Amino acid sequence: MKNQSGALTKKILALLLVIAVAVTAVIGWRLGKGTSVRPPAEIEDYLFWQAKDLTDFKLMGADSKTLGLNDLKGKWSFIFFGYTHCPDVCPLTLGILGKAFKLMEKDPAAFQEVQGIFISVDPKRDTPELLKEYVSYFNNKFTGVTGDAAQLDALARQMSALYTIHPKEPGKSEDSYLVSHNSTVFLVDPQGRLYGRFPPPQTPQEIAEVFLKTRTFYNERSKKRWNLF
Amino acid sequence: MESFLKTLTALMLGLAALGASAGGTDIQIQDPWVQAAPPNVKVVAAYLEIKNNGDKPQILTNASSPAFDEVGIHQSVMHGNMVHMEQLKELTIPPHASVVLNPGGLHLMLTGAKKPLNIGDQVPMTLTFHSGQKIEAKAIVRPGQTEGMEDHQHMNHSGHETHKH
Ligand SMILES: [Cu+2]
Repeated sequence: MKNQSGALTKKILALLLVIAVAVTAVIGWRLGKGTSVRPPAEIEDYLFWQAKDLTDFKLMGADSKTLGLNDLKGKWSFIFFGYTHCPDVCPLTLGILGKAFKLMEKDPAAFQEVQGIFISVDPKRDTPELLKEYVSYFNNKFTGVTGDAAQLDALARQMSALYTIHPKEPGKSEDSYLVSHNSTVFLVDPQGRLYGRFPPPQTPQEIAEVFLKTRTFYNERSKKRWNLF
Repeated sequence: MESFLKTLTALMLGLAALGASAGGTDIQIQDPWVQAAPPNVKVVAAYLEIKNNGDKPQILTNASSPAFDEVGIHQSVMHGNMVHMEQLKELTIPPHASVVLNPGGLHLMLTGAKKPLNIGDQVPMTLTFHSGQKIEAKAIVRPGQTEGMEDHQHMNHSGHETHKH
């Protein structure tokens, strides 16, 4: 009798244990889901609902260097399409991004991971050498690249970054044409996925703060992933 | 003494940069400046505020500078996230009002720089109005964003970073 009741207690305890483990797992899973899948409200609007894998591309930089998808991996890349004969919006945006980078210096680990990429959609006037000089003026973490129409489109299409080169106005010099371009700053994550975007008009504070929070969210999320498997 | 002289020079340069030639006109030009650009850039933008203190509208029809081949009245326009520039034939300043040219919107586009511009340089400009009136201004070259720049020069500026349009 005593033995029997002891066995029963053991059975009940075992059952309770199984239930406890199951409940904990469900709660943990739900919590994990709640905090990891949904980004904080203040950065949500800047992030793509689902990060988008990019396919490889090849753009030309100075000193015969090329830039491809592999050069984006392991870094957070801020990508902007423009052209150097753009007197207003391009220097404005590069200036803002340069200042945003300075603000990120307060978080050295994050700052170490950032790079800026200026893609000229005007290869006729913007040589890689000219671009190098141009971008280094704004920040030394910027790289300038360009390519022919097919090379540019290979990346621009994936980001829906349309651009148009307009014919020159009659009576003006060959080199006086204007270019329309996307003025969004795109954010690519260290896995080479299109992760977020900063639509115009941007401010340095906005870019820096949103990025630092985004990186924290991203890192916590990938940590949780590892715990699960 | 030396620092006093420096301050005085800076002050006078600042006043010169304000640049409006006042003499009996209703038009006032305030804070004209040129967005600093890398030395290899031949196209830059100038910004300023045009005040009309008179009872009649004033129409800016032309701008020129001896330091550039050409000056145009331009506007950057956003369509969705696409930005493109439009050339304006003229710019009307209503009576007792002012029009501000700021980065990301209205600007004077200076093309064909005759020599590279450095921060602190002054760009002489002539603005011509429909009335025939000509106003001289000296736009100072400065970065739109200061702290983000790779140590070109430190200077004060009046917060052009938060323009929205
Ligand atoms: Cu323009």
